[in-house]
Amino acid sequence: MRKYVVIYQSVLMENLQYTANIAMGFISYLILIFVFIHLWEYMYAAPGDLIAGYTKAQMIWYVMITEMIWFGARSSTIREQVSADIRGGNIAYLVNKPYRYPLYILAKYTGEWNIQLPMYAGLTAVIGITMVGEIPDFHWITLVAAVPCIVLGMTIHAVFKLCIGMLSFWIEDANPFQWLYDKLILVVGTIFPVEIFPAALQPVLKLTPIYTVCYGPAKLIVDFSAGKYLEILLAQMLYLAFGSVILFWIYEKGGRKLYVNGG
Amino acid sequence: MLTAVKNQMRVCALAVKYNIMREMLNKVTFLTNILFMMFNNATFIVQWVILLRLREDVGGYTMRDVMLLWGLAASSFGLSRLLFSRVFSLPELIINGKLDAYLVQPKNVLLSVMTSATSASAIGDLAYGLLLVCIFCFSVKRLLLFLLFTVTGALIMTAFALLMGSLTFWFVRAEMFASHMVSSTISFATYPDGIFKGAARFLLYHLIPVGMAIYHPVHIMIAFDGRKLLAVLGYLVLLSAAAVFVFYRGLRRYSSSSLMQSGRV
Repeated sequence: MRKYVVIYQSVLMENLQYTANIAMGFISYLILIFVFIHLWEYMYAAPGDLIAGYTKAQMIWYVMITEMIWFGARSSTIREQVSADIRGGNIAYLVNKPYRYPLYILAKYTGEWNIQLPMYAGLTAVIGITMVGEIPDFHWITLVAAVPCIVLGMTIHAVFKLCIGMLSFWIEDANPFQWLYDKLILVVGTIFPVEIFPAALQPVLKLTPIYTVCYGPAKLIVDFSAGKYLEILLAQMLYLAFGSVILFWIYEKGGRKLYVNGG
Repeated sequence: MLTAVKNQMRVCALAVKYNIMREMLNKVTFLTNILFMMFNNATFIVQWVILLRLREDVGGYTMRDVMLLWGLAASSFGLSRLLFSRVFSLPELIINGKLDAYLVQPKNVLLSVMTSATSASAIGDLAYGLLLVCIFCFSVKRLLLFLLFTVTGALIMTAFALLMGSLTFWFVRAEMFASHMVSSTISFATYPDGIFKGAARFLLYHLIPVGMAIYHPVHIMIAFDGRKLLAVLGYLVLLSAAAVFVFYRGLRRYSSSSLMQSGRV
């Protein structure tokens, strides 16, 4: 375990040197939030309207938090490095190191998002309070309670991205599958809360990563309830266990397909 | 003069042809990229079905108009990436001194750079746009206008990416700024202009070229307006001229990264 902590710490320190670069990513985040604020302002004809049980302020905060998670989780390590290591053959060196490759990648990724996410969280708080106002009925304790859900959500996201990246053991380019997963999270998960979908679809959506990665943490911050909290935590733990089994299964299976050309 | 232009166009066409042939070397990957990009774009239909269940229109756009907007945005961006993909990575070429290879060629530097790469997934974008317009709002007149505006939209997006990318000749940090500005064009292009008001609307029609590349053309396809058509064409000429001017001004500041010394050339 200690070796993963060392990897995490070194990536964390490295990322601390590049906070200015991370801050440049704020431009895209601000533009998207700008679009969504305008969109939801248009959709809510009157300020007191409710859509799927959300007020306008709750809906905009929901979108800002899910986008914050999305931008905070952006990482070339889980998106590109795994595929590149497999396609380029670098994996042959990495599998011989005294660590488990998927855990090595997860430690690196954690070091990255531990810097990115707090920066986006600060920005979200500033924009939200200045442009939308405070979250209705918000208590600081809900934010503290939501932290484990955010950590679990970020990890589940990485586990699924890694599973997709490791498809490169079989296909040359796993990017198209990454696009589909990203769009599932972005289009269905970040823009709308699950309650907005038709009742028949909602149980299906609760089985997708959307529920544990985006919806869960954001819902708890904008509309906390103890029952929902336990339900989301349980779903996340089950999801993480399931995802980890799949990840190591793919890794073991894929590792057997590995051959080295030399050079 | 005419022969020189003709030769240059021939070289560009050959460059694009060989770029696509290179992408086709692995046929499975090539086809997967195209098909998955179309699926990827199609996921956004879910978003609009949900939004249009909540209200009859969004920013004055019905489902048909939104599909027209999405189709044009996808096709324009697709055509731009298909023909001039390298423009979108121009900052990387400038920072790493990789323009050297183009400077020694006996043809136009800018066109050589622009046509030196392609993207297979861009074919998926282009095809998706055409498919949308054929399914949701087909008429011969609209299809012809759509093809015209796909070309103007692609040229406006390319010129904007060139202009933003050329700023890297002066500022290294402009690399990320350019990338965010170009991606913002796509973010705005897929939402109706009717939801934006005041200063935001002004920015979209002047600073970020979405208004002229996408919004005006969509309005023209819904209800023809000759003045708007002239405005789009005029804007295209002005933006392209500005982008070419800035690129060549910046090129004077360019210095090689001496790849010869590292033994890579």
